[in-house]
Amino acid sequence: MKTAFAKAIELILSGSPELLNILATTARMSLSSSLIALLLGVPIGILYGAVRFPGRTPLVVINRTLTGMPPVVCGLLFYLLFSGVGPFGKMKLLFTVKLMIIAQVVLITPIVIGSMETFVSGIAAPVRETAKGLGFNGVRTFFLLANESVYQIFSSYLMAFARAIAEVGAVSMVGGAIAWKTNVMTTAIMQYTNMGNFSLGIALGIILLTISLLVNIAVTLLQGRLSS
Amino acid sequence: MKRVLSVVLATVLALSLAACSNAQTQATTTPATTAAPTTTAAPETTKAPETEPAAPKVDLQILYEQDNSMINTYTLMCVNPDAPFVDADGKEVKDVALNTIGAEALINFLLSEEGEKLAAGYGYEEYGEYLFYLLDDAPVSRAEIPAATEETKQIRLSTTTSVKDSGLLGYIIPIFEEKYGYSIEVYSAGTGKSIANAKMGNADLILVHAKSQEEDFVSAGFAKKLDNMEKERMSFMYNFFVLCGPFLDPVGVKECATVKDAFKKIADEKAVFISRGDGSGTHTKELSLWPEELGIKAEPESFAKYTDWYTSANAGMGVCLTMAEEMGGYILSDKATYLTFRANGGIMQ
Repeated sequence: MKTAFAKAIELILSGSPELLNILATTARMSLSSSLIALLLGVPIGILYGAVRFPGRTPLVVINRTLTGMPPVVCGLLFYLLFSGVGPFGKMKLLFTVKLMIIAQVVLITPIVIGSMETFVSGIAAPVRETAKGLGFNGVRTFFLLANESVYQIFSSYLMAFARAIAEVGAVSMVGGAIAWKTNVMTTAIMQYTNMGNFSLGIALGIILLTISLLVNIAVTLLQGRLSS
Repeated sequence: MKRVLSVVLATVLALSLAACSNAQTQATTTPATTAAPTTTAAPETTKAPETEPAAPKVDLQILYEQDNSMINTYTLMCVNPDAPFVDADGKEVKDVALNTIGAEALINFLLSEEGEKLAAGYGYEEYGEYLFYLLDDAPVSRAEIPAATEETKQIRLSTTTSVKDSGLLGYIIPIFEEKYGYSIEVYSAGTGKSIANAKMGNADLILVHAKSQEEDFVSAGFAKKLDNMEKERMSFMYNFFVLCGPFLDPVGVKECATVKDAFKKIADEKAVFISRGDGSGTHTKELSLWPEELGIKAEPESFAKYTDWYTSANAGMGVCLTMAEEMGGYILSDKATYLTFRANGGIMQ
């Protein structure tokens, strides 16, 4: 009997063009969305963590709420907005990887913001003291804070990437799991499950986890090197 | 560095072990829930089961088919660009961008002699029987099919899972694409969701199988009549729904005179029944087969009294078939998906 694991290896070795296409789409989507979310989330997170401005607390609470946004709700929202009858239907973005990335950015950015905000709140006071002593202005203080949070930035990135690659609710809604175009690992697993082909689903799951593992190793090594 | 590597190795190993043991336990628990002897469930031991008429590896078997009320008709419809589209708030939306030329090209190909021959000839190699038959009165198109242009190249087809999962579309569409240069995006979901997707302006044509829902689609003005066709609904191929259940058929649906009697028997005996419950074509058909006095409808309130045997799964065909297999229940399925399920060994390969 072929186990799912043997099947996973067989699948990779077979180099089936459909699998490669699914892998490429998955990589393109999750890497883009997690990087964009990082670029947006880190500055905002540092701002929320370090600066006490009026209206900060409500913003933080809203952000924490958005962290718990169900992916399928996010997907439904974008499906309605970008449907042919929706306000942005003319842009013809529904069922494209681009819209999947946009939906994921909306989903993931709050996680990065929250993670950075929590960390920076803890180190803000002493760092600000130091900056004051050195006579730094606001911009330089920001970079000093960012420099002090390198380790956390990497951890936030990994969280964002994990959410992006593992997420299925939003991408199946806005992507439609169209073969050769928007089918990613998670939606393909769902499809195979629906067809009763569980072993292929598990095989894809193993490949997905392995990719996730490789990315985690790479980023963790980089994290160790850059933050020591 | 070495430490990281060893952790990695250990994780991969643990994962693989988990996957393997998972696969094995799943495969061995299946026969335990059924009356089939366990030996047949271990395909690695011998090559014999192929020749021996032993109890089947998959307990779930077709018990009832070829009844006239089980005909499963597939219908093509071109989405009307001037349909009364409304947005999520119910506000009217004009000029929704549709590729009607492309949709008509695909319809004319599927209904051409060549297309119909392809559909009717599909499945024999893989499953040992044809999965779809042509209707006697299937409309035939002799219209010339224009080659794709930049504007008409992308065609969005919203369809039901059975035609996609059976492999029919994967068989026909590449032939069409190569011949005329189009590129087709297939969105597949249950018929209900598939039609809803078209009503949201996200499909150029649909291929579905639920007459009542199709007629609603037409009467609401969402379907466009092609010039060379008589009707908006172009029903062209069919197969049969099948009533599946445990190999030993505890209720005895096999002896029933009609499929409606079989459904009545299941209800009378309170035998476990798995319903798709998702507004798909199969679900729509199932609802029409229950005795009317039970009042089983799509709304959850209508079957609240029957939850001890009636299971509304709200899931795709494959998931529901697996459920039926695990629970030893009865289920209505389209034949194509059931055959794929059986070919895959039910649970695990």
